[in-house]
Amino acid sequence: MSSDASNELLVAAEAAATGASGPTNGGSGNRGAKRRGLSERNRPLWMLIPGGALMIIIIIVPLLLGIYIAGLDLDQYTLRKWISAPFIGVGNFVEALSHTPLLRSVWLSVSYSLLAMIVTLPLGIAAAVATQNAFKGRALVRSIFLIPYVLPSFVVATVWRTMLQPDGIVDKVLGTVGVHPGLWLNGPQSYWTLVLVQIWASWPFIYLLALAGLQAVDHEVHEASALDGALWWKKLRFVVFPYLKGPLSLAVLIGMLHHINNFTLPFVLFGVPAPSDVEVLPILTYVTSFQSFRFGLSAAMAFVSLVLIAIPLFVYLRAVRLDDGETPGGTK
Amino acid sequence: MSTSAPTRRRPGTPTVTRPGSTRQHEVTRLLPGPLLVIIIGFLGLLVLIPVLYIFLASINSDLGVARGEFWPSSLSMANYSKIWTSVGLATGLTNSVLVAGATAVVSAALSVSTAFVLVRYTFRGRLSILRGLLALQSVPGTLMVLPVFVLFSSAATYLGIQVIGTQWGLFVTYLTFAMPFSTWVMVTYLRGLPKELEEAARIDGASNVGVLFKIILPLSWPGIVVSGIFAFLLGWNDVLFASVMTRPESQTAAVALQIFGASQEGGAIPQYGQMMAAALVCAAPVVILYLIFQRYLVGGLTAGGVK
Repeated sequence: MSSDASNELLVAAEAAATGASGPTNGGSGNRGAKRRGLSERNRPLWMLIPGGALMIIIIIVPLLLGIYIAGLDLDQYTLRKWISAPFIGVGNFVEALSHTPLLRSVWLSVSYSLLAMIVTLPLGIAAAVATQNAFKGRALVRSIFLIPYVLPSFVVATVWRTMLQPDGIVDKVLGTVGVHPGLWLNGPQSYWTLVLVQIWASWPFIYLLALAGLQAVDHEVHEASALDGALWWKKLRFVVFPYLKGPLSLAVLIGMLHHINNFTLPFVLFGVPAPSDVEVLPILTYVTSFQSFRFGLSAAMAFVSLVLIAIPLFVYLRAVRLDDGETPGGTK
Repeated sequence: MSTSAPTRRRPGTPTVTRPGSTRQHEVTRLLPGPLLVIIIGFLGLLVLIPVLYIFLASINSDLGVARGEFWPSSLSMANYSKIWTSVGLATGLTNSVLVAGATAVVSAALSVSTAFVLVRYTFRGRLSILRGLLALQSVPGTLMVLPVFVLFSSAATYLGIQVIGTQWGLFVTYLTFAMPFSTWVMVTYLRGLPKELEEAARIDGASNVGVLFKIILPLSWPGIVVSGIFAFLLGWNDVLFASVMTRPESQTAAVALQIFGASQEGGAIPQYGQMMAAALVCAAPVVILYLIFQRYLVGGLTAGGVK
């Protein structure tokens, strides 16, 4: 669930929080040693208990439980007494890999995430570059650009589902220019529908982070390239884009995590059972659980998706700075 | 820096950047005017046409939407009065406001105290907790929904507490999944607060709890609001847990909206008009929240940037 929007928001909020507190930032000195003496004497560690207990009971325990369930032959009959369900070891994993479309789902998930990312990246960068310089109405344009980011996923999916109905508005408009694309929400083309709607919904995230990156471009750099008489595309390519590398690689990582974890969009857009061409990993896991009631098998699939997520997540955790130098004991 | 300094516009100049409106502008300009117009025009239409369509379809007839009309042939606001009773959207919205609102308040309160300890004190495992907060945000919801369901139904079987199907179950779930992120927001916010005030309060004899309530809380309202809003959005936007763990009387707005889609299977024309009206109503609180607090989100991003 947390995958839904919060990953994206994380970066935004982190920046918002640091930005909003910017002016007060200057005062803290470097007296770490003195403070440490104070802070080690009576630490209110009990304050960690409520939040910590919640996270342990509702996240960590179910996570371990999920891994255990992946080894059980659990269905709707054994669910009530799941503790006594037969343990079949890696049986579910073997079945998931050999008798279910799991590998195909992994491929669909990864390829759709990548495709959406490849298109949103230039869109977001272009939007950020275009709204970087002041012009009248820029505030309005920036607000408009944020609309797809702001709308809840389930609303976006509901609206596109309506627009893409057979003989709906999209078919009508395409029909007037002589294009008859066929079914959007069923059959092989549904995969491209998913990619397109995901692009529509997620380019503003890239835009936001690219915008943040552009703020880091010093004025001197602009002056220097103006003095050199650099043409606009050369200035973009060699002067401005290098500044975007950091924020954008973060955006790509988090965006990929978000796409791979996205359940709401395909679920609402296509409903369940979804066409096999959009049976991405979250949908397959959900259907196996709550349509076929093969809970053990579904848990095994969910575990595979965790492994898939772990790759970008690991890179992300390595890249993010956990601590700032000012925090007591903040050794990196 | 001065990159975003307002450019003074002479009356009568075109709205889009004009070469040489000021020297400042010319130096920092990134794109030639025509290209700028093309990009902004394209992306603006890409966003605005579907948004306009939602509104137009919401005042159209079902048949009109099904036929693919953009401009409604018959206008009526009736859809906006029908949605409240036809699928229980009113119940759904009430539940959503209750559950997401409670999640926001409690999660903000818990995260500020947790973040306070994580930022101001040293102890073993501190960095692991910080890393864990980041990692937990990326745990896929589809991985969690089954074990959480099993856990909650075990609570009914072994403890006699009915959690599935109640607003409490959703609240606890959303609260927990909001915590890692809300806490991280507060951690980054509290780092920016000066320590001098706290030190002064301690010299005056304030306890840890006193410092938290008298110094940290009044100073960190902006951060608390942001962390609360994100918790609210998590609850409001969730479909996965709400579709598994609710009954008709405890369903959220997100689930109520899905019922319009499901009513299609009867063979009749789906209630498209009502569906679009309900979609707008579901989106409204979120859009309003963002508009009010946009400065924190976008302004913070443009001012602070990403480290």
